[in-house]
Amino acid sequence: MKLLSELLLMPLIAFGVGLLLVLMMRKVRARVERRIGPPLLQPLYDILKLYGKKTQISHGVMHDISVMMLLGGVICVTLFLPVPGMSGLSDRGDIITLMYLMMVPSLGMALGVGQCANPNGSIGISRALTAMAGYEVPFVIAVAGVAIAYGTTDLAQIAAAQQGGVMQWGLFQQPLLAIAGLIAIHAMLGKEPFEIYVAPAEIATGPMVEMSGKYMGTLFTMMSFQLYSVGLIYTLLFLGGGESWLLLLPKLFAVVFVSVAVTNIFPRHRTEKVIGFMWKWPTGIALLGLGLVMLR
Amino acid sequence: MSSMTSYPIYRDPDTAIGCRTVDEQERSLLRRVLDRIADHCRARSLFVLHYCTGCGAIELPPSMTSRFDLERVGMQPMVTPRQADILLITGYLSVKTLKRVILTYEQMQGPKYVMGFGSCTINGGMYWNSYATVKRLQEYIPVDMYIAGCMPRPEAIQQGFLQLIERIDSGRATAWQDYYRRYDWYLGNQQAMFGEQFQTPTDVIAEARHYALASAETTGRHTALLEQQLQQAALMPVGPGRAAGESQ
Repeated sequence: MKLLSELLLMPLIAFGVGLLLVLMMRKVRARVERRIGPPLLQPLYDILKLYGKKTQISHGVMHDISVMMLLGGVICVTLFLPVPGMSGLSDRGDIITLMYLMMVPSLGMALGVGQCANPNGSIGISRALTAMAGYEVPFVIAVAGVAIAYGTTDLAQIAAAQQGGVMQWGLFQQPLLAIAGLIAIHAMLGKEPFEIYVAPAEIATGPMVEMSGKYMGTLFTMMSFQLYSVGLIYTLLFLGGGESWLLLLPKLFAVVFVSVAVTNIFPRHRTEKVIGFMWKWPTGIALLGLGLVMLR
Repeated sequence: MSSMTSYPIYRDPDTAIGCRTVDEQERSLLRRVLDRIADHCRARSLFVLHYCTGCGAIELPPSMTSRFDLERVGMQPMVTPRQADILLITGYLSVKTLKRVILTYEQMQGPKYVMGFGSCTINGGMYWNSYATVKRLQEYIPVDMYIAGCMPRPEAIQQGFLQLIERIDSGRATAWQDYYRRYDWYLGNQQAMFGEQFQTPTDVIAEARHYALASAETTGRHTALLEQQLQQAALMPVGPGRAAGESQ
């Protein structure tokens, strides 16, 4: 019974926090450009409006299923993330399960966009999967380093091992892994300079180009879930998680804030430059960090 | 646009999922509350697709950026017609660009709104006697709001957007349904402009029936011409070899 209530409550909290993260993202962008930015409920208005569209284009069965696959994947990820007071399914699956699940949305999108037969969408999804090959390498190395350092792959235990002062955080214990992980999650969120697959001015939002109405609303929902889960994974791995929501949420917002604030000063890289960068710098830093962990 | 209730509504027995405009008395309390919330959200979240092949695009950056930040009222630019709510047409349209506007408009998902920007979309403006320029936009696609002026300044654009937001909020911006209800009239004007061969990839009549928005004026003599062309196209032989009857 407790598990059932947690399974219902955890995605809801994730969605609420995710909406606030989206709002923060847009507000920060507006402030950097010296604008005022959207009102408080703007992310919710967008999603409700898209679900309230009266006509809808579907390009086939796979297109329909893919949207459900996207949303199912991101909701599933939130169930495996331990948060204060709730562990959900996190004791049944570790960080490796989580990394598998985090690929489901991209694969679902690839299946659905393929059926739309829009060239912009096909280019976009091929770029998205290429970028995934780029950022997964440093991310996996960083996660492996953390797992070796603490001798466990359980996220709750990794976070628990970092309690007892700021200097116990992964950020100060394994600084090289933390830097590599930060760059990897920046690419994972698809922000500039790694924004190769959305690229509105070049390929018209790529995978989303044929998504209209309710499908687009689902993608907006997915984006808020994704911001939450990616930020929370980094918080658990390197910032010691949190004993309570009051301790956890500032860290979560800080992680996403770093990513969002850096975004605004960069243009967009080409695809091969992104792969080259990701396989050279973050991967190199992560390997150095892994070596230090192994030597210790 | 003329009133929506005057047309007899054509109803297919199989399409009960439509979005027919229900009379005020007929709606239940829950339905009214939900419609109110939906209209409220629609009015506060508008994705704008700019169609700027004419002049006047230069007035949009000041209204979108830090001077008069339109994101304060939830408006942001979108790049594909599938995701957009407002089709903003700035300046004049030539005969060639009007075709693209119609294709773009038919790809958008309703509720969708069209804004004509500048006096050229209203009556041709300074191109009133040009052979290549479209005079009145509303004859080809339904227009919700015009912003008059040559050029309208960013303040006028904001005023226009705010008026449109108010209309959407009160549920009065229903011009997009008029395209389905009187498709024959719009298609007739499009055929007069582009010739009788003109057709678009979107099957507007089927959409109108599916969403229960078809009326007696959805089909007529202009759409009959469309079906005639489709039948001819279906009878036409495919490929050069078989056209000449060479194979066998």
